[in-house]
Amino acid sequence: MKFNVTAFRPARTGLGVLAGLGLAGLASQPLERAAWTEVRASQPALALDSIKDALGQGITVGLLGGFRAIAADFFWLRTNSLWEDTDLPGTQTSIKIVTAIDPRPLTFWLNGSRMIAYDMPHWRIARAGGYDATPTVVQRRFDEEQAQVAIAYLQGAFAFHPDHPLLTLEIGNIYLNRLKDLENAARYYLQATKHPDAPFYAARIYAELLRKMNRPAEAYAFLKELHPKLDPENPFAQAPVVLERIRALEADLQIPPSLHYLPAQAKKATEALTQ
Amino acid sequence: MSVVSVSSVPFSLGRLGLIAGNTFLEAVRQKLFGFLLFLSVGLVASAQFFREFNFGSSELKFIADFGFGALVFFGSALTIATTAQLFFSEIENRTALTLLAKPIWRAEFIFGKLLGVFAVIGIFCALTVGLLIALLWQRESQLMRFDPEAFAGGRIIQYGDLLIVGTLQWIKFGVLAAIVLLVASFSNTNLFTVVMGFFVLVICHLQYLASDAWRHVDSVIGALAVRLLGVVFPNFQLFNLADSIGQGAGIDGALALRVAAYGFFYIGVIGGLAVYSFRHREI
Repeated sequence: MKFNVTAFRPARTGLGVLAGLGLAGLASQPLERAAWTEVRASQPALALDSIKDALGQGITVGLLGGFRAIAADFFWLRTNSLWEDTDLPGTQTSIKIVTAIDPRPLTFWLNGSRMIAYDMPHWRIARAGGYDATPTVVQRRFDEEQAQVAIAYLQGAFAFHPDHPLLTLEIGNIYLNRLKDLENAARYYLQATKHPDAPFYAARIYAELLRKMNRPAEAYAFLKELHPKLDPENPFAQAPVVLERIRALEADLQIPPSLHYLPAQAKKATEALTQ
Repeated sequence: MSVVSVSSVPFSLGRLGLIAGNTFLEAVRQKLFGFLLFLSVGLVASAQFFREFNFGSSELKFIADFGFGALVFFGSALTIATTAQLFFSEIENRTALTLLAKPIWRAEFIFGKLLGVFAVIGIFCALTVGLLIALLWQRESQLMRFDPEAFAGGRIIQYGDLLIVGTLQWIKFGVLAAIVLLVASFSNTNLFTVVMGFFVLVICHLQYLASDAWRHVDSVIGALAVRLLGVVFPNFQLFNLADSIGQGAGIDGALALRVAAYGFFYIGVIGGLAVYSFRHREI
């Protein structure tokens, strides 16, 4: 039998093409790696951990094609529909899918965590027979479990929005409103105040929490440090309200009038009078 | 009568240009081009009717995402279908036989086809991105009049970035066209080429995820296979810089240049491999 070399030509060509592609891949690696590191750093959503929940949902092409925003919006609509039906596992899964598809909008993270932390304990209590039939211990356990899920979910958001003060505040809110854990709530509120873009109310609530925890001296010191930094012209800064609270704390702490805090303008006027 | 063999004539950019021009004309006359262009432009134009649908992103970001989604989706479909269709029409109509019987290099044929398709996709990208820019500009101007305080720092959308992203997508489609030509160079049917083209598109987009997933596996064979996948297929996710639009920081020009160089490198290499494979094909 004669050996036919031409019969192997397609295989040889195929191997040649594969080898060529492999060599091209190796040759382009320095260029690719440098660019890929930069692209990935600016788009955390490209990580496997963040996208794995979304894959297999029939939206892979949407993700590839760039329909990220619209796919997330569709799933957000579905989340709200499931939420109306008080479908706990469905809602919880759908919330995670939305942020897996598009982790950029903060709205999804904040509202998703609120559904988990504040609405779901009520659903679980209702399923357990209602508030009257469910022992307080069990109600508390539901609160704690859902709060932990919501906090873990929000912690995941920091990968996409590092140190965002609204996320930090949302965790503080869950500790405060759902778990009634003032100590941890205060910790997160304080953390949020350190961010330059933190809303003004974060500092006011932090001081209020200190007062509620019977630490008025700390609250007084904090507000005294805060007040000069507030813009009196900015209505959101609420400088007069902060001053009012300082005065209330001075009364509580029985600080003598001579040692009372003086706002910058009053201080200047007093100095001018004494001179 | 003297017979002129291919080896006796030098490679000609003129002949390549003629093939490219002919391919371009054939492609724009195709109904598919008009249909996909109409769909893409229609979808981009309709983005403003979905304004109330943007729950998460800002309105302008949503329109930009929507527009680039249409560009990528229909652009990929157009690239794969047009490249395969134009290549196989030459084979099935026997015009390739007539053409290649003349002193024309197969490299001129392949790169002429590639250049023609690249030009058609360029027109498609320019029209879609042009419309998207016009839409965003018009809507942003409206919003600026409605709420000047929100735009105290000037326009939010950096329009130069839209052009950069559009250009990078065009280059990516060029790589995809080269891949489809490579598949067509050994494939026997149009359908097989189109299906393979779509599979390769998905692989090229997802290969980085496979690398991530298999990076820490114990199986040596599995890890090696995924490593090979990452080396053999170009990374299309690299071209996806549209996420940065409207997010504050603009697109880094040096990064865009590196990605463009990566794309052109692959167009050249895969085009060359298509020529190599086509030279071994009997027509």
